[in-house]
Amino acid sequence: MSGGVSRPTLALGLAAVALSVVTLVGLPGPLQALVALAVLVLLPGQALVRLMPVTDGALGALLMVALGIASLTAVSTAMFYLTVWSWQGCVVAMGAITVLACVARAGTEVPA
Amino acid sequence: MISTLELPEETKQRWKPRDIWCALVGLVSLALAVGAASAVTLPVTSDLGLVAVLPWPFWVGVVLLNVAFVVALRGDATGPAHRVVMLWLVVVLVLVLFGTALFVTDVPRGEVAFRHLGIADALSDMQRVDPGIDAYFNWPGFFALLATLLAATGLDPVSVALWAPVLNVFLWLAAVGAVMRYLTTDPRRRWLVLWIFCLGNWQDQDYLSPQAFGVFLYLVIVALLVGPLAALPPKFRGFRRANLAAWWQERRPADSRPGHRVAALAVVLLLVVVIFASHQLTPFMVLFAITTLTLSGRVWPSQLPLITAVVLVLWFVYPASAYLAGHPPIEDAGFQGAVATNVVERVGGTPGHLLVVQLRVGLTVVLWLLAAAGAVREWRRGRLDIRVAILAAAPLMLFPVQSYGGEMLIRVSLFALPFIALLACSALLPTDGSLRLSIRRATALVLTFVVLAVLNVTGRFGNTEYDLFSDSEMAAVTAVQRLAPPGSAIISAAHPTPWRDQTYLEHQYRTIDDLCSPDLSAGTCGPIVYNFVRHNPQGAFLMFLRSSEASIVLQGESTTEGFAELEEWLSAQNGVRLAFSNAEARVYRMTP
Repeated sequence: MSGGVSRPTLALGLAAVALSVVTLVGLPGPLQALVALAVLVLLPGQALVRLMPVTDGALGALLMVALGIASLTAVSTAMFYLTVWSWQGCVVAMGAITVLACVARAGTEVPA
Repeated sequence: MISTLELPEETKQRWKPRDIWCALVGLVSLALAVGAASAVTLPVTSDLGLVAVLPWPFWVGVVLLNVAFVVALRGDATGPAHRVVMLWLVVVLVLVLFGTALFVTDVPRGEVAFRHLGIADALSDMQRVDPGIDAYFNWPGFFALLATLLAATGLDPVSVALWAPVLNVFLWLAAVGAVMRYLTTDPRRRWLVLWIFCLGNWQDQDYLSPQAFGVFLYLVIVALLVGPLAALPPKFRGFRRANLAAWWQERRPADSRPGHRVAALAVVLLLVVVIFASHQLTPFMVLFAITTLTLSGRVWPSQLPLITAVVLVLWFVYPASAYLAGHPPIEDAGFQGAVATNVVERVGGTPGHLLVVQLRVGLTVVLWLLAAAGAVREWRRGRLDIRVAILAAAPLMLFPVQSYGGEMLIRVSLFALPFIALLACSALLPTDGSLRLSIRRATALVLTFVVLAVLNVTGRFGNTEYDLFSDSEMAAVTAVQRLAPPGSAIISAAHPTPWRDQTYLEHQYRTIDDLCSPDLSAGTCGPIVYNFVRHNPQGAFLMFLRSSEASIVLQGESTTEGFAELEEWLSAQNGVRLAFSNAEARVYRMTP
């Protein structure tokens, strides 16, 4: 724990910020793909799943992917309808969703 | 099958020599299948498709893989082999059945994946949604996702389309696996469902598409409906009003944690909205599944069908209103029309193609019969889980809704497949699922699975004479996309054509088949195509690909001679000259 926030929550939030910046700056070929997938799908999915009291590991893993993809679809579609779409905007939005989910999760974590 | 919310038990498993052997046989099977598929040369020239040209080591690999799976499934008195081994064998099966084409060519199969890449590309260029363009822009969710992922990751779009079938099937299996954890506690049955789901999945709907995405999200919703959102109804006391009211009110949630239920409900609502924004058909399937499960008393949030219906109506009347204006919802509905487009019109063509179509129907019928036998067996023992029966039967409600281009039966069988597979397990496994399989039953299972695998490869890759494209054909399409000025028409002989992935909005895309069907004779069709081009001020490019010709001939719409006459007629007209040619393609520039 660090000030009442668990390490996984802190690590998830910090990873989202750091990897979002790295994705926006750009990386060589396959690395860019891996980091972008993490920032856009896996990290937000995991942060959202951690808001749910899921005890079944398989369901948790499935929801991580499904929530990550569904959130990105919702964000991308909304940005297209609002004519403000850019992939960089989507990266920032998904990073923000991850951080906000981590903040919400931190609010439920009891200080040690 | 279980009717209460039982969280699966995780027991520690030890590795046994048998597990190692099964894993190694899986590896050998994969090597044999990949090596054999890699040896296939294009173009495939049999109307039976890939099954006619795959070398024998591929089939040895298929047999070995099914033997390894049954041995692993049989396991010992404590249960099947180690879960890592079972998982590995499922991965190998997916690569063998759904990745075969990957090892034959590096060009995605079929036309639609190319078109979907083009729509995502067009969205990226426009940076807005214009519902007036076509139906796809009324359900842009999946394409918005694809545009974002391709731009942010820098992945090659064609490679993404190439690998999409394997990735989609992995996603589907993950969801099916999660659903089964709530529907059965028997580990053998869980693994067998995944196996049958793969073997019975000939529908070829796993390419890069909104419907593949929709199927995944649909299965996740089902996992939540039979899991955290499940309800436990009391014993049914009859259809009298008072009995029904009491039965309904005495339901209780299967999950005792309100927080878990609320969170699961929020996820379902998000997934419903995303599905409704992404695909035209899947929302109806979601609505039918949610409604029938709720009415059976097996889903706790009773308002969910209403909410789902409201979202569906709202999407149709606002974001999809442009489509709705030109396509009234009941325009092509009805049972007779559905039968005509889904059955009658699809059973035709050359003898080989006809056989493929019949085998596809046969595979589906075999699985449904097995499922029916399994359902009867469970019912007699008083163990039939009504949710499984509902989820297997609910997709049939889609059939008369719309003809869906003659593909509705394919979609119905795909949506039902996980639950058909679960019911079929009851016919294939011993009465008491915890018992180890006898040698006799294990042998019968191997034979059944090998037959299903052959039917799967035949059905799934039965169109490869015309939906696997050679490098020469791709070179012709690339040349046309390079030569054609904006506004010009690009005309191919028939679907499928691997086009529209780059310049989706710049050209009018037509096929001769669409313009002239059903009469493709030179005398009738030639003037129709020629007049169409003459009215386009930017002119047109006309492509004759080997695969297009094969498509028309195989499906019985014309003959090789008739097709050659049509090309000869068109190439002899004023303003028509050859612009590109190679061994498998000819491109004509047509000026008005």
